[in-house]
Amino acid sequence: MGVALADLPALPLHEAGKYVAAAYVVLFALVLIYVAIMAIRLSRIERELGELLELSENTVASAPPDRELAGQGSTPL
Amino acid sequence: MYGKGLRSLSISTIAVMTAALALVFFYAPLEAEQGFLQKIFYVHVPLAIVALCGFVAGGIMAIQHLRTRDPSWDMRSYVAIHMSLIFGVGTLITGSIWAKGSWGHWWVWDEPTLVSFLIVFLLYATYQPLRFAIEDPERQARYASVFAITAGAFVPLNFIAVRLSTAYVHPRVLGGTSNLPGPMALTFVVSLIGIALLYVTLCKYELTAKHARAQLRALRRRLTADDAATPPVRRSRSAAPTTLHPAAMMTARVTGKEGL
Repeated sequence: MGVALADLPALPLHEAGKYVAAAYVVLFALVLIYVAIMAIRLSRIERELGELLELSENTVASAPPDRELAGQGSTPL
Repeated sequence: MYGKGLRSLSISTIAVMTAALALVFFYAPLEAEQGFLQKIFYVHVPLAIVALCGFVAGGIMAIQHLRTRDPSWDMRSYVAIHMSLIFGVGTLITGSIWAKGSWGHWWVWDEPTLVSFLIVFLLYATYQPLRFAIEDPERQARYASVFAITAGAFVPLNFIAVRLSTAYVHPRVLGGTSNLPGPMALTFVVSLIGIALLYVTLCKYELTAKHARAQLRALRRRLTADDAATPPVRRSRSAAPTTLHPAAMMTARVTGKEGL
């Protein structure tokens, strides 16, 4: 690994290096910010799914027996 | 629906982006005049090209929306423009960094390519305020589509006008890759493909997230409607609203059978 790295051309990171690094960091930061926003959205969707699950469980638990029968007699989706 | 193929698309994006970075730093030769600073070219120019193409694509999708009245085209148009704005921010920042390193100034007002890109960017920056200033969803979609088509037509016109009128200070890229030496041209093309793939992948992520949210809203509406005091017979499974999205219908079916 060390030998392979030694064979690679050295990057001239003197004067221009900071500008090039900054430009590529900008691209990386944009993608990273976007991923962070997507992660927040995903957690929100997960939370909403949990709420809906709770809601549906409450609905099923509070349903009267005749409602279940009526449901069985209808056309399946 | 929108998430189909997202995994393979993400993997190919990562692979091509990695290859592009490797080519930029370990394969492409140093440019004689600018030296190492020219490496910014491989990120700045693809970002600009993809952003401008995204604006035009948003206009084409808006045409589809006006033709078919299908709201999914409006959503695609919105996401394409939204993502192009983000890429536009990247273009402006990387361009400024390049200008500072190359010319010693962050911004040069007498450079037509820079200023014209800024005009296009500012034009599209008004898209979202315009869109969300309208409350009625149908009118909002229609007006946004008209804007996207008009602005989308402005992008190539602006590009051509700048090309016809300018002094040749800014590097020319489109139609000019033949001027680049082979390794540089290859690196540029791979970078362009990588950035384009990144754009498509992020658009797909955005569409998938929006679609999932819409499905959740539809499911919530249905569940809360079920909860309201309706007669037991009308609350049977056959009473599912017909306007529910097919994917939401599927979710609702799972709910009915297994309670999620």
